[in-house]
Amino acid sequence: MDASDPCLPLLTGPPVIRAEGVNFYYGEGEARFQVLFDIGLEVAPGQLVVMTGPSGSGKTTLLTLVGALRSLQEGRIEVLGHDISKLDRAGLVRVRRDIGFIFQLHNLFEALSAYENVKMALQLGGKLSAAEMRERGVAILERLGLGDRISHKPRALSGGQRQRVAIARALANRPRLVLADEPTAALDQDSTRNVIRMFKELTVEDGTAILMVTHDHRIIELADRLVHMVDGRVVSDVVLNDALRICEFLKGIDAFKALTPTELTHVAERMAKRHYMPGEVVIREGESGHELFLISEGEVKVERSDHEVARLGPGDFFGELALLSGDPRNATVSAVNPVETYVLGEADFHAAIGASANFRDQLRRVYFLRH
Amino acid sequence: MTPDTRSRLPNTRFVPLAWRNLLASKRRFARSVAGIGFAVLLMLVQLGFERGFFDASLGMVRELDGDLFIMRATKYRFGSEDPFPARDLEPARKIAGVAGIVPLYASWERFFWKDPTGNNAYLVQVFAFDPDHPVFLLPELQAQSERLKQADAVIVDRRARRFLGMASGARETEINGRIVQIVGDYALGPDFMSNGTVMMSERSFAGFLSGNPANVARLPVEFGIIKLRPGAEAPAVQQALRAALPDEVRVLTKPELVAFERDFQADLSSAGPIFWMGTIVGFVVGMLISYQVIYTDLSDQLAQYATLKGMGYGNGYLVGVVFQQAAFSAVAAFVPAWLLCLVVYRVIGELALLPLHMTLSQTVISFGLTLGMCLVSASLAIRRVIAVDPAEIF
Repeated sequence: MDASDPCLPLLTGPPVIRAEGVNFYYGEGEARFQVLFDIGLEVAPGQLVVMTGPSGSGKTTLLTLVGALRSLQEGRIEVLGHDISKLDRAGLVRVRRDIGFIFQLHNLFEALSAYENVKMALQLGGKLSAAEMRERGVAILERLGLGDRISHKPRALSGGQRQRVAIARALANRPRLVLADEPTAALDQDSTRNVIRMFKELTVEDGTAILMVTHDHRIIELADRLVHMVDGRVVSDVVLNDALRICEFLKGIDAFKALTPTELTHVAERMAKRHYMPGEVVIREGESGHELFLISEGEVKVERSDHEVARLGPGDFFGELALLSGDPRNATVSAVNPVETYVLGEADFHAAIGASANFRDQLRRVYFLRH
Repeated sequence: MTPDTRSRLPNTRFVPLAWRNLLASKRRFARSVAGIGFAVLLMLVQLGFERGFFDASLGMVRELDGDLFIMRATKYRFGSEDPFPARDLEPARKIAGVAGIVPLYASWERFFWKDPTGNNAYLVQVFAFDPDHPVFLLPELQAQSERLKQADAVIVDRRARRFLGMASGARETEINGRIVQIVGDYALGPDFMSNGTVMMSERSFAGFLSGNPANVARLPVEFGIIKLRPGAEAPAVQQALRAALPDEVRVLTKPELVAFERDFQADLSSAGPIFWMGTIVGFVVGMLISYQVIYTDLSDQLAQYATLKGMGYGNGYLVGVVFQQAAFSAVAAFVPAWLLCLVVYRVIGELALLPLHMTLSQTVISFGLTLGMCLVSASLAIRRVIAVDPAEIF
């Protein structure tokens, strides 16, 4: 992805993580065995990426490499703009300060209060005054529902509360990258919901990228991407977020290339996914039209007065004419095989073309080419 | 959370992690203070013993009232009986600056004192002098020395070892089978060589040793004690004396005499090394205890320290925390041990009749050792923290 990538939700900027050709081995000599094979992974700002896979698949090793907790052996990893293969020990330590780590175990200091544990992170940069640290520390603990536990020692907290303190510690410095390993394992239902909401807010509002190993379905449902690893290889990398996926899809279509990244994202976020079974009618000739359809999978046939006039496939769209002219539908479109479409409503459509004269012209051009 | 509770949060720049760790568990803290404090007490008692030993050994020397001291050249310590002929003192009288010479007779080997409260007789240290020139600084002795003019009268040390019965209040006992009158007492205390000291006139001394008090002039002398005229310089007079006196005797100033005895105690007797061994044992015990405390604490919190490394703390910070914690625990253990030692000194001092006192140098030395043992053990334990791999905790 480059800087003009339109699919960084509301944000532009270089990827937070860019890994290429990463191999990693444990042991030496005869006992040496490879745990990571040619890993390539890019994570953009604001993405919540979940890594899954059986234990021993290399997820955690990858996480520690990205987190500058281990030295790279082969390949290249850029984290927050730093090429970590080129950094010395002190450089690695500095990179870690910009990353929020959430470990499976909370690892809080028993001797310190919840606030002081968080402050251990806040004091690291050495840039905040005591008053600023207090404001931030208290604010993040309050946001995690620990407002009345600020001066408690870990011993006086429940398991879930402790884990939330650890999460507060990881997020206190508003890191642009959060690395987490099963962060919700110790949390109860309510805490989990609270924490997940916070992760989501961080990605959407602050553009924080989160790379997380978890098998918690409540998180996977909200993830933008799901990276599945088996035996040290990335076997699938699926975009789960519809808006993100639609955005990726729209990028490849000529008509949408005129849109600025923000406009494209705006359109993508307003599109809904809709499925049709073979033979099912999508629009019918003569009816009034209020929606624009974009085919992402499958094939449709276009019939006018019972004569098939065209077939459309992935990347094609239809239904724009009725929206542009206000006339009834001039053709019937039905699914040939199972079809997945992205649907844009009339109001959003007009908003989109209103916002971009370019886009309107593109749509008209496509229309006239087709007729 | 109200603004009030917010304002009650500690307003320091940095979290005092070392201090918090130290106080985290009251039980562990008490154990650490007790353990390290025990070692501190051990060291302080040894240091106190050493000083008490020397103070006791040097007590009598310090009480001698003179500027220069003539003694036999072969004498190897204050308390070795090695007298020289009184005539050897004669040339000294003519030396400029010498106000007067008084002989001091002494014996450590020939006087058996009978416990007035029992039947046993014990060897005692005896000093004899002219009652008109009591050669000791002890005010009590000076005040009572007139009484020594009475035949076979003695003045005794009421702080002598108790089995001698010198503090029993008895007015009479026997020395070498002969009745003596106890006409007074003073307080000095025993040392590690003699259990008690008896003062008598030179005439009584001669009576004991030769059967005739009139033989004083023929008695060999243990020390010739010289008083200088006002304005006379001790070193100059010492030089002149050396030239005038036979080679069989030597001349020491008072500081030289004190140093002579201290050197003997420190080098020729094994007392000094023994106490230093004791101090070293205390140091090692303290180091082991301190190492144990620090090591356990680090082991318990290894994951936490690894987490700090993961967050971006360098080894320097972690090393600092561990050393701070060691230094804090040294101070925390030292203070109560020092206070307890005051009590121990008093109790043991009374029981052993030793002059045990807390001095600045004992305090400084023992604190230095305490800090040292805690920091050394911390530096041994710290390798664990330096070695910890933050990647292991994911």
